[in-house]
Amino acid sequence: MDNLLSKEELEFAQHMREFYRTEIPEDIRRRNAIGEELSKEDMVTSMQILNKHGYAVPNWPVEWGGQDWTPVQRHIWLEEMQLASVPAPLAFNASMVGPVIATFGSQEIKERFLPKTANLDIWWSQGFSEPDAGSDLASLKTTAVKQGDKYIVNGQKTWTTLGQYGDWIFMLVRTDPNVKKQAGISFLLIDMRTPGVTVRPIQLIDGGHEVNEVFFENVEVPVENLVGEENKGWTYAKFLLGNERTGIARIGASKVALARVKAYAATTRTPRGTLLQDPLFSARLTKVEAELTALEFTQLRILSTQAAGSDKPDPRSSVLKLRGSKLQQDITELLVDVLGPQALDFVDSREVADGFTTLPPGASDALKAYFNYRKVTIYGGSSEVQRSIISKALLGL
Amino acid sequence: MDLELTDVQQELGSTVARLLKTKYDAGTREALLATDRGWSEEMWNQYAEIGLLGLPFAEEHGGAGMGFAEVAVVMEEFGRALVLEPYLPTVVLGGGLVDAVGTDEQKSQVLPGVAEGTTFLAFAGQEPNSRYDLTSPATTAAVSGDGATLTGEKSGVLGGDAATQFVVSAAVDGGVGLFLVDAQAEGVTVDVRTQADGLKTASVLFENAPATRLGTGDASDAIARVIDTANAALAAEAVGAMSASLKMTAEYLHTREQFGAPIGRNQVLQHRAADMYATLEGAKSMALYSKLAITQDVDGTSKSRHADVIAAKIIVDDAAEQISQESIQMHGGIGMTMEYPIGHYAKRLTVIPRTFDDEDSLVAELAGLGGLIEPEAADVS
Ligand SMILES: Cc1cc2nc3c(=O)[nH]c(=O)nc-3n(C[C@H](O)[C@H](O)[C@H](O)COP(=O)(O)OP(=O)(O)OC[C@H]3O[C@@H](n4cnc5c(N)ncnc54)[C@H](O)[C@@H]3O)c2cc1C
Repeated sequence: MDNLLSKEELEFAQHMREFYRTEIPEDIRRRNAIGEELSKEDMVTSMQILNKHGYAVPNWPVEWGGQDWTPVQRHIWLEEMQLASVPAPLAFNASMVGPVIATFGSQEIKERFLPKTANLDIWWSQGFSEPDAGSDLASLKTTAVKQGDKYIVNGQKTWTTLGQYGDWIFMLVRTDPNVKKQAGISFLLIDMRTPGVTVRPIQLIDGGHEVNEVFFENVEVPVENLVGEENKGWTYAKFLLGNERTGIARIGASKVALARVKAYAATTRTPRGTLLQDPLFSARLTKVEAELTALEFTQLRILSTQAAGSDKPDPRSSVLKLRGSKLQQDITELLVDVLGPQALDFVDSREVADGFTTLPPGASDALKAYFNYRKVTIYGGSSEVQRSIISKALLGL
Repeated sequence: MDLELTDVQQELGSTVARLLKTKYDAGTREALLATDRGWSEEMWNQYAEIGLLGLPFAEEHGGAGMGFAEVAVVMEEFGRALVLEPYLPTVVLGGGLVDAVGTDEQKSQVLPGVAEGTTFLAFAGQEPNSRYDLTSPATTAAVSGDGATLTGEKSGVLGGDAATQFVVSAAVDGGVGLFLVDAQAEGVTVDVRTQADGLKTASVLFENAPATRLGTGDASDAIARVIDTANAALAAEAVGAMSASLKMTAEYLHTREQFGAPIGRNQVLQHRAADMYATLEGAKSMALYSKLAITQDVDGTSKSRHADVIAAKIIVDDAAEQISQESIQMHGGIGMTMEYPIGHYAKRLTVIPRTFDDEDSLVAELAGLGGLIEPEAADVS
C-alpha cells in the first residue's frame, strides 16, 4: 500500500530517504542494521550530521532548531530514518531533556543548553529511576537541599543508560519531603564531573555494559541549574514521559530487523531446503509481519487523528508501546531461531580460530539482542503500566 | 499405578540437594563463571565420591548399576542450582554412547574412569552446517584394519573444553559410526567457546585424527536413543531451573514494594504467577513422562519412546520460554542483571530449548510421526 501519502508527502519521503542514504556514513548504518554496538563517536557523528541539516530535533520549537512539520512529516522523518538504519538522535537529548528545557526552562537555561543538546556536544543521561523507585517513580528519595545559591544533592539513581558517556544528567530530586510525594519533586541538571558524583557499571545478562548506578554524595549544584519552578518537576516529568512514548513502537526498525531475519532464513539450510521454506518457521514469521502491519496502521490512524487537530491524551499511544515492544522481542526471538544451534555461544565477533568454519551472520548478536530486548517491556512504562493506562481509559475504574 | 520416587531416589535427591545447598550458592557459582575453566574440579570430585558419575553404568563397568530414573533426579537438582560441571556431556551423552554401542572391553576401558571422575567425555555430533540433524555427518572415517582416522569439523560440542576423549560421529560404510578419539591426539584441534548460559562448548577439527571405532554396525539408532535420553535429562534439568525461578519470582512479588505495597498485591501479577505455576506443573508431568519413556524402553526397541520424548520436550521448551520471560519481566530491571540470580536461570532456560533441536523441528517431527493419539481412539465412524 503506497498511495496514502499526498504528492508533497511522497516527495518529502523521497527527500529524507535520499538524505539519510547519502549523508549518514554507510558504515555506521550498516553496523546499526546488523545489530553491532555503536560507539559514542558513531552516535555523535550521526546526530551532528542530522543537526547540521535541521533533522536532529524537528520536534523542538523552530527557534531552537525544530521544524514546523505536520504530524505526518514527523512520522515520515522517523520511519525513513529507521528504514535507512540511521541511529536515532540520542533520545535523552532530543526527546527528553530538550523539549522539557524548551517548554519550561528560562531563556537563560535555554540558551545555555539547547544548542549543545541538539548537536550532542553535551551527552545527557536520564537520572529518574532509583533502586526503590521504579514503576513508582514518584517515591524517589534523592534529595536536593537548598543552601544559599546551591543545592546539595544526596542519593542514588540507577539503570542510567549509557551513563558512562554522560556529560550531564537530568534528575528528578526531592526538594520538599513534607508534601504529597508528587508535589515535592524538582527537575535539576547536574554536571556529571562535579565532585561527589560516582558512576558504577551494571553488568546485564546480554554481557554488555549499557546501564549504570550513579551515586551522589554532597554534590553541590548551582541553583541556576533548576529547570522551571521548584517542586514542579513531576509535571515536567509527565510531559517528558509522554514524549518518550511516541516513536517507541519502532516500526521502521522492526521492518528492517524482520527483513534481516528473512534474508538469513533464506540462506539457512535445513534437511528439507531452506529455513524460509520451512512451513512452521515461515508461518511464524508471516504472522509477525501481519502483526507489524496492524501496528503500523494503528500508528497511522493515531497520526491521522492528530493531523485532524486533536491533541487529547490517546490511550492508543499505550497500545503502540505495548504491542511494539512485544513485536520487537518476537523478532529477536525469530533471529535466534534462524541461527539455531549457532546462536547459543556468546562470541564477540564472527571470527573464529584458523581452520574453523566462520560463524554465520547474526551469530554474534542474535542471542545478545534477545536478552537485551527484555528491557523494552520493562522501561518507558512497563507493559503492566501500559495496560493499566489503557484499562483506566477504557473502564474508568 | 505409582508415579512417586522410590526411597532410594528420594534419598539421592536430598543428598545432591544438600551438597549443592552448602557448596554451590549463587555467589560461588558466579565466581566459578569468572574463572577460565568455568566450572569446579572440586565439585566434580565430590560428584564422583557420592557416586553420581557412574550412576547409570553397570557395576562391572565401575558404575552404580542404577538407571535413567536416578540420573533424572540428579539432573533436576543440578537444574535447581544451575550446575556448570559437564555432567550431561560426560555421563549422559558420552558415557551413554559408549554404554550403548561399545564392546564390553571398550566399556571396561572407558566407563570406570568416568565413574571415578578422571575421564571426561563429549559427544561430537553436530557440525557447522548440520543444524540439528545428526543423521548424516559430513565428517568421514577412513578405516584400516583395527584403526581409523577421522576428518571433519564438529561444532557445539558440549563439554568439549573438558573432554579427555571425544565420541565422534562420522560417515562410514554408507551409514554412521561412532569413534573414540583422544583429545590430545595428533590432528585434533579444539576451539573452546562459552554459551550464553556459561556452559562450555567447543568446535573441534579432526584432521586425519587417529580413532577407535566403538562397536560395529550402524550407530544411528543408538545416537537417536541417547539423544532422547539427553532430552529427557534436559527436561528434568529444566524442571529444576523453572521450579527455582518460580520460587524466586514468588518471593520477589512478596518483598518488592512499589506504590506502598508488595507488587504481588496486584492481581494481574498474582494471576501471571498462577499461570507460571500451571505451566510448570505441565512441564513436570511431561518430564516425568519422558523419564518413563526412557526407563521403560529397556532394550531400546520401543516404538513410542521417540515420540513421547519429543512431546515432552515441546511442552518443557514452551514452559521454559514462558517462565524465563515472565520471571525477568516480573523482576523489572533487576531481572536483567548478572548480579541477580534470576537472569542466570533465564539464560539456561533459553539455551535448553535450543539444544539438540528446536521447537519447530520437534513439532514437525512429532506431527510426521502421527502425533500421540490414534485417530481410532474416537469411535466416530
Ligand atoms: C535496560 C534498562 C535501561 C533503563 N534506562 C533508564 C535510564 O536511562 N534512566 C532511568 O531513569 N531509568 C532507566 N530504566 C529504568 C526503568 O524505567 C525501570 O526499570 C522501570 O521503571 C521499572 O522499574 P523497576 O525495574 O524498578 O521494576 P518494578 O517497578 O519493581 O516492577 C517490577 C514488576 O512489577 C510490575 N509492577 C509494578 N507495579 C505494578 C502495578 N501497580 N501493577 C502491575 N504491575 C506492576 C512491573 O511492571 C514489573 O513487571 C532502565 C531500565 C532498563 C531495564
